[in-house]
Amino acid sequence: MSLLELKNVSKIYGELKALDNVNIHVDQGEWVAIMGPSGSGKSTMMNIIGCMDKPTSGEVLLDGVDISKESSRKLTDIRRDKIGLIFQQFHMVGYLTAVENVMVSQYYHSMPDEEEALEALGRVGLRERARHLPSQLSGGEQQRVCVARALINHPELILADEPTGNLDEANENIVLDLFAQLHKEGTTLIVVTHDPEVAEAAQRTIVLEHGRVAREIINENFGKS
Amino acid sequence: MTKRRMFLRMVTASLLRRRSRMLIALLSIGIGSTILAGLVTIYVDVPRQMGAQFRSYGANMLLLPKEDGTLNRESLQAALNTIPADSLVGAAPYCYTRLDMTSRQQSFTAAGTDFDQIQKTSPYFSVEGNYPAKSREILVGREIAETIGVKTGSDMVLTWQPGTTSGSGAADGGRLPGSVLSGQAEGFGGGMVYVTASLDKESRIASLTADTSSQTPEIGGAVPENESFMEQFAGMTLPVRPEDVDVVSGATVTSTAIVNALNTAVATTTAVRPKTLNFNVAGILTTGGEEEGYVFLSLEDMETMTGSDRLDVAELSISASAGQLEEYAELIGESSDSVQARLVKRVTRSEASVLEKLTGLVFLVTLVVLLLTMICVSTTMTAVVSERRREIGLRKALGASDGSIRAEFLGEGLFLGLLGGVMGAVLGFAFAQAVSVHVFGSSIMFQPLLLPAAILVSMTIAALSCLLPIRRAVAIDPALVLKGE
Repeated sequence: MSLLELKNVSKIYGELKALDNVNIHVDQGEWVAIMGPSGSGKSTMMNIIGCMDKPTSGEVLLDGVDISKESSRKLTDIRRDKIGLIFQQFHMVGYLTAVENVMVSQYYHSMPDEEEALEALGRVGLRERARHLPSQLSGGEQQRVCVARALINHPELILADEPTGNLDEANENIVLDLFAQLHKEGTTLIVVTHDPEVAEAAQRTIVLEHGRVAREIINENFGKS
Repeated sequence: MTKRRMFLRMVTASLLRRRSRMLIALLSIGIGSTILAGLVTIYVDVPRQMGAQFRSYGANMLLLPKEDGTLNRESLQAALNTIPADSLVGAAPYCYTRLDMTSRQQSFTAAGTDFDQIQKTSPYFSVEGNYPAKSREILVGREIAETIGVKTGSDMVLTWQPGTTSGSGAADGGRLPGSVLSGQAEGFGGGMVYVTASLDKESRIASLTADTSSQTPEIGGAVPENESFMEQFAGMTLPVRPEDVDVVSGATVTSTAIVNALNTAVATTTAVRPKTLNFNVAGILTTGGEEEGYVFLSLEDMETMTGSDRLDVAELSISASAGQLEEYAELIGESSDSVQARLVKRVTRSEASVLEKLTGLVFLVTLVVLLLTMICVSTTMTAVVSERRREIGLRKALGASDGSIRAEFLGEGLFLGLLGGVMGAVLGFAFAQAVSVHVFGSSIMFQPLLLPAAILVSMTIAALSCLLPIRRAVAIDPALVLKGE
């Protein structure tokens, strides 16, 4: 069953076709990587899937709902309820501790629950760092907090934008292991990346070029390493 | 944890953990609030402050005897009791008379007064030496001092002559209702005839006795025993016309002498002798006004000399608005049947107009400071918003609605307002106190209402100042967090 489906999606900025008649679908529970050089339309696609932008034309079905025509307020609701976001720059609220940063996500979603937030930090191995401010955490630790924050509300889809772009290899592996765990639990993952290694961790890679889907690669070795 | 607690946690964390940034915002609110609280305190206190200031320009109310009443210490005190004690700065009684300095053949206007009160009602009096503190000490006006050459410490012998009081009764021989008169006249053979008459309430003769022991016995000497002669005077008013009197036949000269004695009789009570006292000059008074031609002595000494406790006027210095003064004056006029109050319009009017201008000025400055504070806070908050663009974008990406963003920034603004308000109330009072002490030379009382008022105003300013920055915050695109900037 498909969780996400893009049908003939185009996004045009003046003369520039950022996305040109793109068709993709992602099944429930699938782990998909989106690759492509800069300017290929990755960011535009990410914004549209993440309910932060609307296509110029075409349909975007998320969990059966067409989000391409929704108001931005409605999009905020959908993003909050269905999507967990992970960013390249980690993006934490600088004056809140790790656990508070996780709780911010709960706060906007439903109800802050410190116990649950601490558990989520435990999952990413940072329970004992819960009371630290972002400035007291390493980049890898910050990104793990962001993973904990993304999964805290049990989203149907985790959307990660270059999640390992600023990490060393050790931390990259920790994050990818976390993704693998989430995948096993049935969470759908879409990871936008430059990094072939990160793409190879996914089941399938969609390659974008000039706003079009250039090719799709099925990872034959998925789950074997 | 409830959403509200998380909200408070985020808002306070934002302020407490981002100290340096928020300190600027807090300072702008706090300083604005301080100046506002200070100005408002002064604004509220200015009438009182200036009222007290104006009191140094002299009395603003006069108490005078009503036409048929007398002003003395009792009636003065009764009138003063109608004025609230805390607004009565001073009340100086004055009793004027002429005193002679016979050694120099000079005569001066002398004022009996209360020196403690004079210093309150006429603080501009400048005394070389001291104000009299003891009995028999006097204050001499500079003009007199220069004319007769007295200095502080000099002695002056002053004489009071009866009949020189300005009161009625002296000119017509003291034929006051109810008084007793005595007189004398030459009778038969040069012997003196004495009479004593008492007057009733209408100044008519009530009774008459005569002493004719110097006259021929059985003839003139027997006139006082002649009832029909003596009783005919009852009911007559003085002076008695000789043709209205039936004389005792054979004792015409003695009878006429009795009539003459009656007509020249003076009241025994006003038949007071001149009084001379020795005074010591305690100080020389300079005022730049007519007071320099006066001699001032204590009311007690004045009473000793004249034997009267009559007052001519009392000067009152009252710390009150023009409207209140009029109320007091009316109240005194109504409650007392012997004393009337008059306002010194020259003083009260200028007070009112200066006050109006001053409060207007403070109000204007307050308004400007209010505006400046809002601009300052708004600018700071705008800077804070652009500094936190990424955080706001992140919050929106995490699902924060526009309402949440608004609430969070407004929450921070209100929290800043609260802190700034407390700071403003405390520092503002200190500021007002300093201004009050340095400018007005008096301290002010802390208004308990100042704290909630300052907090309320400060929170309102903060909230209003946040409106524009919040609009900018809400407009931030959540997608910016994805661009990997």
